[in-house]
Amino acid sequence: MKHLEKGVGLASAPRDFLRDLNADNLSAGLVAGIFGLSAGIIHISAGTAAGLPQEFTLLWVISYLMINGLFGLLLPAYYRLPLPMANSIPGALLFAAIIPVVGLNEALGATLMAGAIALVVGLAGWMSLVMRLIPMPIVMGMVAGVLLKFGTNMVMPLQNALLPASVMILSYFFAARYLRRVPPLVVTLLVGVGYMALSGADFSTVEFSFRLPEFIMPAFTLEAFLAYGLPLALILVGMETPAGVGLVKGMGYKEAPANAITALGGFGTMISAFFNLHSTCIAAPMTGICSGPEAGSHDKRWVAAVIVGIIFIVAAPFYGFVFSLIEAMPSYFIAIIAGLALLRVIGSAMHITFSGKHEVGAMFSFLIAVSGVHIFGIGSSFWALVMGAGLSMLVEFKDFEFSVEMPKRRKADPAAR
Amino acid sequence: MSLFKDASLPAITAGFVAVLVSYSGPLAIFFQAAQSAEISTAMMTSWVWAISMGAAVSGILLSLWLKVPVVTAWSAPGTALLVTLFPDLALAEAVGAYLTAAAVILVIGVSGSFDRIIQTIPPGIASAMMAGILFQFGVGVFVSLEAVPSLAIGMILAYLIFKRLTPRYCLVLLLLVGVALAVWLEGASLQGVSIKLAEPQFIRPEWSWNATLSLAIPLVLVSLTGQFLPGMTIMRTSGYNTPARPIVTLTSLVSLVTAFFGGITTVIAAITAAICTGKEAHPDSEKRYVAGVANGVFYLIGGTFAGTIVLLFTSLPSEFVAILAGLALLGAITSNLSAFVQHRDHLEASVITFIATASGMSFLGLGSAFWGVVIGALAYGILHRPVRAKIRHDEGEATRKLP
Repeated sequence: MKHLEKGVGLASAPRDFLRDLNADNLSAGLVAGIFGLSAGIIHISAGTAAGLPQEFTLLWVISYLMINGLFGLLLPAYYRLPLPMANSIPGALLFAAIIPVVGLNEALGATLMAGAIALVVGLAGWMSLVMRLIPMPIVMGMVAGVLLKFGTNMVMPLQNALLPASVMILSYFFAARYLRRVPPLVVTLLVGVGYMALSGADFSTVEFSFRLPEFIMPAFTLEAFLAYGLPLALILVGMETPAGVGLVKGMGYKEAPANAITALGGFGTMISAFFNLHSTCIAAPMTGICSGPEAGSHDKRWVAAVIVGIIFIVAAPFYGFVFSLIEAMPSYFIAIIAGLALLRVIGSAMHITFSGKHEVGAMFSFLIAVSGVHIFGIGSSFWALVMGAGLSMLVEFKDFEFSVEMPKRRKADPAAR
Repeated sequence: MSLFKDASLPAITAGFVAVLVSYSGPLAIFFQAAQSAEISTAMMTSWVWAISMGAAVSGILLSLWLKVPVVTAWSAPGTALLVTLFPDLALAEAVGAYLTAAAVILVIGVSGSFDRIIQTIPPGIASAMMAGILFQFGVGVFVSLEAVPSLAIGMILAYLIFKRLTPRYCLVLLLLVGVALAVWLEGASLQGVSIKLAEPQFIRPEWSWNATLSLAIPLVLVSLTGQFLPGMTIMRTSGYNTPARPIVTLTSLVSLVTAFFGGITTVIAAITAAICTGKEAHPDSEKRYVAGVANGVFYLIGGTFAGTIVLLFTSLPSEFVAILAGLALLGAITSNLSAFVQHRDHLEASVITFIATASGMSFLGLGSAFWGVVIGALAYGILHRPVRAKIRHDEGEATRKLP
């Protein structure tokens, strides 16, 4: 356990939460929470595409919110850092695709093993090595590439919903200029909801339902492990943690506990395996929203991440209701809110990507992540990191910080003589 | 004649290499535009003839007249723009837009307001739009990974290796290796390639609002910021204090003629200019103008045999052209992305310009480059001052916290 980073502790967390709560981190938390809730749509569409029953998909999303929300409540509260937890989206796509091939219990067995691998990596303190193998500009290139889609999804509605889309986007810009006390995103949310109400959005399909996560016993097969467990472990250790940690570091939180995030995510993934869920890990887009400038003063942004956890846990049993509510809103509503929330994050991610070392690796990482290629059934964000880091080693090895210990030794040598 | 006295092998070689690089990389983008426009081989040949002749005539005249190595070429970001607009845009309308753009640039050149206009465009917005236009080509390289994995990986590795070993010959060697790989891995056949003279084809231009807004205006913008600005900068950093006015004026006059044969705007070269203006072209900077003349002469030869060049490109798989174009633009994409992220004072406006341009959206029939500038300028106008005010606000908060 010696490799796990020390945090502030949980005892005083509720009191500090109330002390640090303000309009900025509340609105960022709300936006990230709504973003996380709407991510369930990805599960639903992945499940539908893989031919999984609606019944299971709903259980899957409810577990996602409940379990990820629980861990997402504890981690930021303990470290007082904006570290919201969710599940891995590439992992979700892999999971949905593999269930028809190997079976649900077998897929969950592979999930359990992937979680165990992440737990071991975190406990052994190997994250600093992993992070040195995949340097910041390359990680941020991947993050910027993945987040860019949220940016383009924001401007796309200008094509066929010009009036509401431009009203929402312009309200953000004007609020950022003239209303300095109110977070611009809140203004945009209110303007958007106001527009929907005035234009008569149809809320008649919204219905109430209540469900809790259900227990299931994982089963183990080598096939499931190779086809899905191992890639998932790589995604959790090599992609999700570096992306999240890279983001919070980029926002000025140098002390991000990479080992603890990996270990807790691994442990959470092992628990997830017993409840129809494929992973627990730090969530990059939500981390971006919670740790960015939109979330207000720097030392209080952790509150936003805790709020996300609370929203997840409270909303989980009622997800059927939430889903029908999201369905009732036009799809561009969430797209514009998410895009605006991530605008500055995309900007600073690109700033880190393209201002300095690892120029080739960072560029390739960014382009591959945007391209969305699937190779061997694994998505582009994984290949962005692998090829970005690999090519960077090939052409710009001098930029890697493997030689960190060497100067020290050299300094120590004359003294030894 | 002093030209023959001043002529030297290094200068002629530099001119040849510059042409070869242009035909290897930037021409691939023009081919992609031609492919998306679904035009005939004869028309494609006319296009290549027109851009080569435009570069040849303007380059030779300017180099002889000003006695400095003026390397001209066609607007590479302009051709990138074409790829997104065809086939919705009619060929006649495109020619109309070429003419409009050339006329606008001519006015800018004659009035001598080039430098003033460049200064009024926020630097981040200009780079962000350029990056957004060129960006899709970079992504295209990796999209090809799915269809032709071995060709893509082979060319990417070749690009990186050549870039490291001989940056100047990188694109030429990449073209050779790429053709070899395409023949070997994808079974492309070069049997149909033969010596063929070009026959220019006249296109009757048509003027339309749509083409003016989505092609002519962005074309002027990217030509000024993406070609004339870096091109003039390269000339000046190489020690040539040449005025912009004659170069801008003459290239736009030439463009007015070549447009009728499908040639996109002729501009000062940015990618290849440095090859002819540097020490490698000739130790004596007074005699480097020969490189500019040689460059023009080789364009003349290339234009005459445009048919052969077109046959070569059309007998290779379209993925090959996409990968080549993307890799050729990688340097330009990187430098534009790095340029706009450096301007932190209007980063948000630049990012939204980049996002909107790269999104490929189209609205009212106008392309994303136009909307990128509109949205970016709007964001810049609204956010530009508060960005500074916001910093002051944050600082105020920080100082308030101190006691």
